[in-house]
Amino acid sequence: MTDQEDYTSLDHIEMTVRELLTEMKDTSEVIVDLAYASLMYNSEDMAEKVNELEKEMNDLKFAIRFKVLMSSRTKQDAKQLSGLLQVASAADRISDAAAEIVNLLNLPLERRPFVSAMLYESDEKIRATRMSPKSSMIGYTIGKLGVEACTGCRIIALKNRNGWIYDPDDEIKIRAGDDIIVRGTEDGYKRLMEYANGNKSWEFPEVVEDQDGTTPQEEAASINEDEEEGGE
Amino acid sequence: MNRLEEMLLELKDTSEFMVDLAYSSLIYDNEEIAEEVIFLAGTMEDLSQRIQEVVIEIGMSKPEEIARIVVLIRLQTSIMSIADAAKSIADVVLRGLGKHPVLAMSIKESETTISLARVAEDSVLRGKSFAELRLSSQCGMFVIAIKRDKEYIFGPGKTTKVEAGDILIAKGPEEGVPVFKGLADGTDKELSL
Repeated sequence: MTDQEDYTSLDHIEMTVRELLTEMKDTSEVIVDLAYASLMYNSEDMAEKVNELEKEMNDLKFAIRFKVLMSSRTKQDAKQLSGLLQVASAADRISDAAAEIVNLLNLPLERRPFVSAMLYESDEKIRATRMSPKSSMIGYTIGKLGVEACTGCRIIALKNRNGWIYDPDDEIKIRAGDDIIVRGTEDGYKRLMEYANGNKSWEFPEVVEDQDGTTPQEEAASINEDEEEGGE
Repeated sequence: MNRLEEMLLELKDTSEFMVDLAYSSLIYDNEEIAEEVIFLAGTMEDLSQRIQEVVIEIGMSKPEEIARIVVLIRLQTSIMSIADAAKSIADVVLRGLGKHPVLAMSIKESETTISLARVAEDSVLRGKSFAELRLSSQCGMFVIAIKRDKEYIFGPGKTTKVEAGDILIAKGPEEGVPVFKGLADGTDKELSL
């Protein structure tokens, strides 16, 4: 077996380290939301998705390790890249924890009746609602509506006539009768309900030009200024 | 909710807040935020200890509750793993290993991004509490920390008022960032209260 064959057999090897890490961070966040939601709604199907994501995370983890190790040339590289691998491993551990959480579904429901009620009171609210045919959101995609930017609620799962979609993409259209599960604040949920019920008509976000191009490093300068002044 | 459930919920909320803070410390390579994550990890340990004491108490007096308690303990273990992962991210920053530009970029470009903005003298946010502002439902951005003068306010409460000069650190969707910045720097005066 040549080297070429050897490494192309790894999944996700075509992605850059940056893309891999972004994907791992995204996954680590949505997987926890889905894990708690699966307990709240006693959903085996959602738990299944959590397990899929957890497997996916393992593939990503091996891909990023491979890529990082391949790119290390100097001691300085190795030092900074070790930090990067630690973050990747943290994201992986979070997804492992999410998979452990959904394992609780294997216990009989009568042993965990309080879990739903308890999770209902979390700071990060997970809530479900159904889209009314009267809602002005109907027929638009999640991205076009800008649901999270307008309400602070992120749609983590959606059930339409084809079944459940977890962590739906921006391109997914909202249709009458869809059930959605969202994560956000209580206030944001109330706001979203008004639109979902058709009591209020959706206000489309103004299209603000794409970012001012500030880098995280430039932003950081405003809070880390003290250290820098000290260094001068 | 009984006492045990309340404690567990606090553990869960803290673990999630720690993850948000850990990523914030990483995107800005900021040691003070990383220190807060470590501090919270300590409070989680204390709380965990108290949970165990209560569990033993209940187990001794009401053996019929054991089955339910096992569920709580398993949940607690997972929550502690999440907190521990957050702590290990903060540790990267504290060891000075968080400077690789790919780290900051990967957080900036993720679905839930982190951004900060300084509140201008003429900002509509100024003088208002978070309860009044409901910033999260305005632009999707949720403030997780404020830097005021040299001090940090972590996890500001509903009654915390925004002051001019505050630097707000928030998480949310990328589309929310321009609105968040506009409201803070005074260019956007529209608040739907």
